[in-house]
Amino acid sequence: MAYKRQFYPGTTSPAVARRRLMDPKVKLQKLREVPIEDVVKLMGHRNPGEDYKSIHPPIEEGSEPDCPIRKLVTPIDGAKHGDRIRYIQFSDSVYFAPVSPYQRAWMYLSRYRGIDTGTLSGRQIIEVRERDLEKMAKEFIENETFDAALTGIRGATVHGHACRLDENGLMFDAWQRYLWDPKKKEVKYVKDQVALPLDKEIFVGAPASMEDLRKRTTIFRADGVDMRDDKEVSKYQHRIHKLRTLGGYQPFKVKGV
Amino acid sequence: MSSNPPAEYAGVPLPEVRITTNRLLSAETTEKVINGFEEIEHIRQITMSGESLPSKINSGPNKGLDNNHTQRRFVKIGGKDVELTKLVGYFFIELEVEDDKVLDETVGKIKAVCDAHIAHGFNLEIGRYSKYRPTLNDYRGV
Repeated sequence: MAYKRQFYPGTTSPAVARRRLMDPKVKLQKLREVPIEDVVKLMGHRNPGEDYKSIHPPIEEGSEPDCPIRKLVTPIDGAKHGDRIRYIQFSDSVYFAPVSPYQRAWMYLSRYRGIDTGTLSGRQIIEVRERDLEKMAKEFIENETFDAALTGIRGATVHGHACRLDENGLMFDAWQRYLWDPKKKEVKYVKDQVALPLDKEIFVGAPASMEDLRKRTTIFRADGVDMRDDKEVSKYQHRIHKLRTLGGYQPFKVKGV
Repeated sequence: MSSNPPAEYAGVPLPEVRITTNRLLSAETTEKVINGFEEIEHIRQITMSGESLPSKINSGPNKGLDNNHTQRRFVKIGGKDVELTKLVGYFFIELEVEDDKVLDETVGKIKAVCDAHIAHGFNLEIGRYSKYRPTLNDYRGV
């Protein structure tokens, strides 16, 4: 019997959303269009149109050592060309952002090869070869995991994910990389992810309504969907907690769990 | 060199009103709220707190660059220009009142100002949330 991959337990909306984002067969919904030149500017690693800098010769030149693993693994496009490894970092508000950092890690690792991702409480960095990163970044700025008000593109000083929102409903940013445009009723980026002012404003669309976000979010919250209301998720959490605790201190007690 | 701490404390635990706003307030709203409080009697001191807005980029590759945050600016408070360095989310208002009747009246006036200017709601509590006499910390660097 072939093993069928499982993603996440539970029946509540955050549990279903988590499963959906992690499943590579599900195509994520595209909500906005941001040109690739703008994505490149937002990240600030190179100027649009500039050549990719490389850190090793292209693999096709055949200077790789003889290694069975290297023969086994198909390199991603950037690795083939010897691109540098660059990053994008998203910060997600606790106020019902479409996704939260930990689920970003699950989602990235489930959907992509050749990436390195790191989770912190309010932000999620993703490191990958530059030309692959640009494609991924465009995808993740345009799709349903990004909300103009509650997701931030922040390379440093990410503080704000657990702060109250500002009067326009935007997540706090000490460096004010993005602003609310009252005329267009959209959010515009005026600085790149490390706060270098941009030569043009980059619009990333209008924020979703709180009603919509509450339905789409992967975040369990006491004032939204409480994790304790999902029996299967609670059972799974308790099991992991018990195994971790006992496994760390009294492994001989791990029986029939 | 002075041996006195810079802050002036009442020495007794006067009642304090803590206002926690549901959203972080813009400089414009903060200015309106503070100027609204200006008219109210029996207020001894107002402390504002919130999220800091640095004047310069304080980390990363662009460290040292001007931040140019539109909310970090001078506001007019009681006719004076005061530089606001935070997106305000808390007000601590120390009241110099002698009985409950005056306290209730003053709190009512404070609430009316908040209702008029804070669009996204707030939470108002009465208690004592900060110290009222100097401690060793006040003498640090004096």
